[in-house]
Amino acid sequence: MSRRHRTLAAVALASCLAGVARAGESPRAIVEKMTQAAIDVLGQKGLSSEEKRHRIEDLAYANIDFDIMSRLVLARNWGRLSAAQQAEFVRLFKEHLALTYGRSIESYNNEKVEVVGERDEGRGDWTVKTKILRGGGNADVLVEYRLRQENDAWRIIDVVIERVSLVANFRSQFQEIMGSGGPAKLLDVLREKNAKGEPLKS
Amino acid sequence: MVPLLAAVLVLSWAAAVCAAEDVGTERDPLECVNRKIFWFNDKLDVYVLAPVATGWEKVSPRRVRTSVSNFFGNLRFPIVTVNDLLQGKVKDSASDVGRFAVNTTVGVFGFFDPASGWGLVKHDEDFGQTLGVWGVPPGPYLVLPLLGPSDPRDATGFAVDYALSVTPFFIDEAILWGARVGDTVNERSFVLKQVEDAKASAFDYYAFVRNAYLQRRRALVRDLAEGSAEESEELYHLEFDLEEKP
Repeated sequence: MSRRHRTLAAVALASCLAGVARAGESPRAIVEKMTQAAIDVLGQKGLSSEEKRHRIEDLAYANIDFDIMSRLVLARNWGRLSAAQQAEFVRLFKEHLALTYGRSIESYNNEKVEVVGERDEGRGDWTVKTKILRGGGNADVLVEYRLRQENDAWRIIDVVIERVSLVANFRSQFQEIMGSGGPAKLLDVLREKNAKGEPLKS
Repeated sequence: MVPLLAAVLVLSWAAAVCAAEDVGTERDPLECVNRKIFWFNDKLDVYVLAPVATGWEKVSPRRVRTSVSNFFGNLRFPIVTVNDLLQGKVKDSASDVGRFAVNTTVGVFGFFDPASGWGLVKHDEDFGQTLGVWGVPPGPYLVLPLLGPSDPRDATGFAVDYALSVTPFFIDEAILWGARVGDTVNERSFVLKQVEDAKASAFDYYAFVRNAYLQRRRALVRDLAEGSAEESEELYHLEFDLEEKP
């Protein structure tokens, strides 16, 4: 084996190992990595807001299971949507979350994140507890991520801020809209909201 | 007494408009009336409270606003301590007495909070939570004029806490109302961006606030301990529609 071949084999082996490590990564490691990556992006000087927004979006897309989250937020109403409406809902909801988190980029003020605990929720769910340390005498904020294992990978299915669950909160809002106007109105409201959220470029 | 009068007027208007058609949901049977009052409160916030708070935020550094917040927070000492005791948290109540003593003296009348640094952390207790700990159910969701989200349990708690906040007889009532308004404006100044973002991202702002309030109060009654297994089940495991994937 030539030297070049050996190097190639080593690289291939290393990337295989990295792949295995990623698939088996613990929920805690995933949350640690994700929050650290987010802080790095937010704190990076010389990066435009637009670029930061993209990178945060990518992080969210890589770590959040929008399919499961969509079912959870619609709960009993999920079945009232046709397959096409369900697919559109997932797409719009994902876009909405990305826009919402994009908005918070401007308010980053050197906060740090620390993983402070974790617990097995049973039935394939795991919660990782983090604290956002705001410094300057401001109270820390408790943020918990609930993850679910699918195909050997853990992905986030809910974010609970100071014990207020986003899934529960969205469920209550979508319940109202479904109650008054059904699936068509629900998708209209989402489209309208996302269109309004667009001119965020700064 | 102007606020009281305003509250009565808003209530009777909302009740008149909603007279027969209030259907609501299981957690919110008074939804129609609540939404009207919520609308009124929101207008008051948008046109009066938020602009004043924005002005206050512009002219005063964060340190000053934090000190004002500390000052009013320190005055809540009797409420917190009594409710600690009523919930059987003797250690917490001792800690809160110490906290008040330290912050009132070393912390110059409560404007600074050295106690937190010395391990005497702030506790968030009120009589609404005490009733919850005693097993009193919250009852239907209520939006109160001027005061905002509540329920019969928390409204009762508010009234009892109000009676607990010792107000020396020699202080004029006008000054007390002024202090209350100042406290409200100051607290509002900390969440200007958050409220704006919440409104921009919520699909139904009323439902957003209602749900956040109910979740938060339930958590506070448990002192932020984990929720029950049933709650978790209801939220994350919906067997009937999670089984098959498209």
